[in-house]
Amino acid sequence: MVRPEFHGSAAEYFRIWIVNLLFTLLSLGIYSAWAKVRKQRYLYGNTSLDGDTFNYFASARTILKGRVLAVVVFFLYAILTELYPDSIWVFLALGVLLLPLILVRALRFNARMSAWRGLRFDFPARVRDAVPLYLGMSLLVVLTLGLAYPWFIAKHKQFVVSHHAFGTSPLGCAVPVGRVYGIHFRAGLIIAGMSLVAVLGAAVLSPVAMLLPEAGWLAFLLPVLAIYIAYAFAYAYLQARMTNLVWQNTYGAGVRFSSTLGAIDLAGLYISNLLAIVFTLGLAVPWAVVRTLRYRMENFAMLVTEEVVHEASPELLNISATGQELGEIFNVSFGV
Amino acid sequence: MSSLAAHYFDGARALRHDVTLVLSGGKMKIVGRDVDREVEAQRVRISTRIASTPRWIYLPGGGACVTADNAGVDRLVHERKAQRTLHALESRPAFAAAAVFLVAALFWAIVDSGLPLAAAKVAEHIPLEAESSLGGEALAGMDQFWLQPSQLPLDQQADLSVRLAALAALAGDAPVYRLEFRASPVIGANAFALPSGIIVLTDELVKLAQADEEILAVLAHELGHVRHRHVMRRLLEGSAIALLVAGVTGDVASATSLAAAAPTLVLQTKFSRDNEREADAYGIGLLRKAGIEPRHFGAILARMEAQAPKGPMLPSFLSTHPSTDERKEFSGSR
Repeated sequence: MVRPEFHGSAAEYFRIWIVNLLFTLLSLGIYSAWAKVRKQRYLYGNTSLDGDTFNYFASARTILKGRVLAVVVFFLYAILTELYPDSIWVFLALGVLLLPLILVRALRFNARMSAWRGLRFDFPARVRDAVPLYLGMSLLVVLTLGLAYPWFIAKHKQFVVSHHAFGTSPLGCAVPVGRVYGIHFRAGLIIAGMSLVAVLGAAVLSPVAMLLPEAGWLAFLLPVLAIYIAYAFAYAYLQARMTNLVWQNTYGAGVRFSSTLGAIDLAGLYISNLLAIVFTLGLAVPWAVVRTLRYRMENFAMLVTEEVVHEASPELLNISATGQELGEIFNVSFGV
Repeated sequence: MSSLAAHYFDGARALRHDVTLVLSGGKMKIVGRDVDREVEAQRVRISTRIASTPRWIYLPGGGACVTADNAGVDRLVHERKAQRTLHALESRPAFAAAAVFLVAALFWAIVDSGLPLAAAKVAEHIPLEAESSLGGEALAGMDQFWLQPSQLPLDQQADLSVRLAALAALAGDAPVYRLEFRASPVIGANAFALPSGIIVLTDELVKLAQADEEILAVLAHELGHVRHRHVMRRLLEGSAIALLVAGVTGDVASATSLAAAAPTLVLQTKFSRDNEREADAYGIGLLRKAGIEPRHFGAILARMEAQAPKGPMLPSFLSTHPSTDERKEFSGSR
């Protein structure tokens, strides 16, 4: 059993992060592409699996092109949907239609820019493989008023993982749909239960607020905070259980995987990260990144069942970073 | 003697070989148990240094070596000065401490003046008509929920309209606006500027005013919102702030992106307060030009505040308007 190890430190990462943030602000955002590459290279270069570190190849220029396009699209979206509310349908339609393209290109870019033992990862799926799943299934989710959503998520995770490859060695993945429904159902219960507590709390607090008008805003803040915490818990629960489930059902040439993320651990991590970031006005971001990464690595393992020599895929073309950056800026979560 | 220990990968198969790199006579030799390569040292590409992560030495014709011996690599090759400076900046605590202060100062400069200035410049180039569909919908929405037809006599409405037009004409740079009279028991005494220059005045405000000058003072303030394109600027500033905050917190997992909501709210209310001050200044300037005493503005604000229903007290950094005391002082009524 092999676990990834992280050799960096929050203090070291902070020094890189803050200097890169300074240059990014000085250059009005342009340097952010170089900053991204340097930060990513720090994290990859400090992560080792079975004695060898990872390598990140992406060029800052490629990432910059994607970011410029993404920022332009973002401003157009923000302003046009406000001025002409009906235009949201145009953006939505474009987004749904382009999703398969953006998703496949982003995943391929990220995979090909990552390497281990001198061998690049790959994502050889074609855009047309993604079309039936993402267009058909998203329509189904709408038509069933969301009932098909966990099914869609199961198929989505399966698509993403099973199209990844290390060199020419593909990964296989079969996510059991029934288990995904169970996980989403329990996450829904967590939100419903904790929202009920928040509402009851608000009912108790509002007479107090009447008596103490100076502290009145607290009575409004506390229930909102409780609902935030409920979402954080539900989110952490979904993340932990889904990640574990996906990796348990993933296999590659001579390898299996295990993931043992804990929902409560992860929720604690998210909430403490949030508090630290708020109270340090953002300075705790690098620390939060490093400890989250560490926790995830401690709970991931690769089981080598058979010694296989993995080989490189023959063609590795240069592709644009556009897809990746669009995906990142609109916060579409492509990872597993 | 320049040699160092490294791992070699041929790039075709994920197999690690322990090797020694030897540099002599313009050639780089890679020697190990199953490896014996020699390449032109000139054509070797070495990854730039980032903290103490291992360095990659990419060989011409494929294959690469990696070594954790950063000092050894630095002895072997001289990085360009810019790269060495970058590494120095990223690794010394003193620079990090200086960067914290510079980032804070820069952030403040961007948020306090850079961004509002840029938004104002951009907004000037977007015609007011671009807001017309939004303005129409905003008014229709308010009509449906909070506003009723005005009960003011038509001649009083006409009189106020004429006096406002005369006031606006004095400004020289007055924007295109449209004055709308409405009654609103829900909202009470108030006036507001909607997108595309629609200014709504409630009957309740007209009743609360002890002189027409007070009404004109409030309307002059609303003209300031229209003149300075506060609707469009709020939009531009909001989008820019979202990007800026995402740029800082974007590295962290999504659940933590809740952390981005709080600063966004604080910054947006700051912009809102700044806009109110700008509209106050415009309105008072206009009153002076018309020979109306600015204290009328402070007087009506004070009465509006006294009459407004008491909501929960918000801390000043979350309030959309500056305090009435501050605004009264500004209009010279104290």
